[in-house]
Amino acid sequence: MNKLKKVLQAYGTILALIMIVIVFSILRPKSFFTLRNFINISRQISLMVIISIGATLVMSINEFDLSIGSMASLGGVISALMAVAGVPLSLCFICPVLISLIIGWVNGWIVARFSVLSFITTLGMRTVLSGVIYRLTGGATVFQDIPKGYSWLGTFRIGQIPLLSVIMVVFVILFDYVMRHTVLGRRLYAIGGNEETAKISGIRVPFYKNIAFALCAMLSCITGMLIASRVGSANTTAGEGYFLSSYAAVFIGCTVSKKGIPNVIGTLVGCAILGILTNGLTMLQMPTYMQDIITGAIIIIAVIIQKIGKR
Amino acid sequence: MLLQTKHLSKQFNGIYALKDINFSLDSGEVHGLVGENGAGKSTLIKILTGVYTPDEGELLWNGQPVLNNDPIKSRKTGISVIHQERTLVPTFDGVENAYLGLPYPTKGGRIDWKEMRRRVSETASEYGIDIDLNKTAAEMSPPQRTCLEIVRAMMNECSLLILDEPTASLTDKESELLFDIIRRLKQKGTSILYVTHRMDEIFRLTDRISIFKNGEMVERIETGLTDRNSLIAKMTDNWTAESIVRTKEPGKSLLKAEHIRSRDGIVKDACLEVHAGEILGLFGLGGSGRTELLECIYGYRPMAGGTITVADRQIPDMTPEKAIHMGLALICEDRRGKGLIGNLSVRENVILNCLDDYSGNGIVSEEKEKNAVREMVGQLQIKLAGIEQRIIELSGGNQQKAVFAKTLMTHPVIFLCDEPTQGVDVKTRAEIHRLLREEADKGCGIIFVSSDLKEVMEIADRIRIISAGRTGDLLENNGITSRQVLSCCYAM
Repeated sequence: MNKLKKVLQAYGTILALIMIVIVFSILRPKSFFTLRNFINISRQISLMVIISIGATLVMSINEFDLSIGSMASLGGVISALMAVAGVPLSLCFICPVLISLIIGWVNGWIVARFSVLSFITTLGMRTVLSGVIYRLTGGATVFQDIPKGYSWLGTFRIGQIPLLSVIMVVFVILFDYVMRHTVLGRRLYAIGGNEETAKISGIRVPFYKNIAFALCAMLSCITGMLIASRVGSANTTAGEGYFLSSYAAVFIGCTVSKKGIPNVIGTLVGCAILGILTNGLTMLQMPTYMQDIITGAIIIIAVIIQKIGKR
Repeated sequence: MLLQTKHLSKQFNGIYALKDINFSLDSGEVHGLVGENGAGKSTLIKILTGVYTPDEGELLWNGQPVLNNDPIKSRKTGISVIHQERTLVPTFDGVENAYLGLPYPTKGGRIDWKEMRRRVSETASEYGIDIDLNKTAAEMSPPQRTCLEIVRAMMNECSLLILDEPTASLTDKESELLFDIIRRLKQKGTSILYVTHRMDEIFRLTDRISIFKNGEMVERIETGLTDRNSLIAKMTDNWTAESIVRTKEPGKSLLKAEHIRSRDGIVKDACLEVHAGEILGLFGLGGSGRTELLECIYGYRPMAGGTITVADRQIPDMTPEKAIHMGLALICEDRRGKGLIGNLSVRENVILNCLDDYSGNGIVSEEKEKNAVREMVGQLQIKLAGIEQRIIELSGGNQQKAVFAKTLMTHPVIFLCDEPTQGVDVKTRAEIHRLLREEADKGCGIIFVSSDLKEVMEIADRIRIISAGRTGDLLENNGITSRQVLSCCYAM
């Protein structure tokens, strides 16, 4: 029993992922368990993985950012509007990133400087950003006169492999390295573990909070631009759908780590679980409401199993 | 006799916190409860108010044995306590706070606010308490909150009111108001158990005094029949430390703090100086501002005034980052809250203060880091399964050693140690003492804070007294007795 507990605690979430794959492979061997489908899944989850890495960063300092969805939408809208206006494409993808860094910095500054709960700060920011989006677009999707080249990032394939999947892998490797092996990552975890201890250890807590929020906003913005590039238009609420599932992925991801803390690889596993469920259940022609019920239940079960293992 | 305890005992981990206490208290008397830190006063209060259940002995209320095993029962019996930490709901107004835990009067199914207000203000005026009941607790000043708590206690038909250091956050003028109220309560027949470190209040207010020492009740005495000096003598063992053999005379001044005031007003005017090769004891009773003073020096707690000079350089706007850079180290009293990060590994904790030394271009060089941590862990003989073990899984003593390991990594020259041996076993305690002495012999300066006077006298070369946020006498620890030290504390 003890051994079982240990195994569950250390590998429970990954075992769950493998089980889900096995079940779908048995039920739909010809369509699910194919290389093509897995490449397909990697593309389907790529956008969620990138925005979820952002959520992982703010959760590593024990804060929340509720504005990631609208930040993503705003990123897509600004970038698409610039493309329509004829701005060189490279600038269309760089300027929104700079704007997002500033917005994230402001989030962090308000949280750290005035000790306002990040929950409330970013809830406010979310509304502000929605307002800005409306001002820019009048509520309409931006799709007319977008140059052809704009869609390149979101649709290009290297042989069989979508560029989006490659971008996802690059971000995962980069931020996994940052969180585990750099001073920045270690300090973020220190702040998340115990802010007071971090302060006494000479860590400039407000500065690092700013960085976490800024990077989170940047990753959200990049996600939003990639969504716009992929579908060739910028919807005013394109990012909102990613908001809740990205936090679900981070929470599942915490259970992958022995310490129970947010981590990039865990977040990837979380996204994979959610993505494969959607993919497989769709193949089984499960109605959407059933998919919701099963996905929700699995998120809760994953966390319960880890809590049991910890005791 | 209103309250009596018979052979009351309470143990924690096999150590007596209270032993065979036969305490008694009459109706309508003001009874003082005095003793050093750890004498058992708080434990007694917690038993009387139902927070702790005694291991042995019984409690008699008006001559009848009572089972007093939960705070609500205790309040119903008629015992109320007013702590330093107040128990009001900040957003409720005076009337609602006074009614906490009482059934609200109703009229036709609706709360009868008028009746509530009438009853509360009636009770308040009965005891000469004049506060604005429309204000919320958050808007009230500390003395107003104390008054409100008294009103609440009296709404409960309280016949024994326990006041635990009630004047700690009050000014002299505000204290006078409180004393007036106490006198009025007494006239109306309410008994008061008055717990304080302040001797003049004991002599002004009380009829009788119970003296506690090391968990035992030494004596009960009529206030009129004793004086300050003999009372202090009874509270202490009058213990003399073995003279410390100093290997070196203290060298140059390492740290000088002058007229420190903290922004929250807890530290009012504190000065101290520590020299190379010296262990300076900083001793004060509970609430004296010793922890807060160290935190101000380290730049963790905001200051309102004063200067800090490290190695002859005045440092404006000290921050923890600067402090570490200047060679300061702070060992916090609150180990779990401020000393370590529980869910991270021993390695990640130990390296925390000096991550920059073990990294280049923002990337941590892990081999170097692991070796350094292993070496430090070996040097301090920290017992663990491996440096990747989560620090919270270590025993208290080993956790504290890990905290020391963390600070030693930056090679500090000035140690600010706040209760560094709290919650550690005897062996580790001796090891920590030895470690600090070794560091002092190497030319470091050490400030050692403890609420355990014996410990301070065991290790310190000199002792600085702190009381109510102000530093006082500097005593050479050379044949002085604990009574002399305490006299200095109480004299302030």
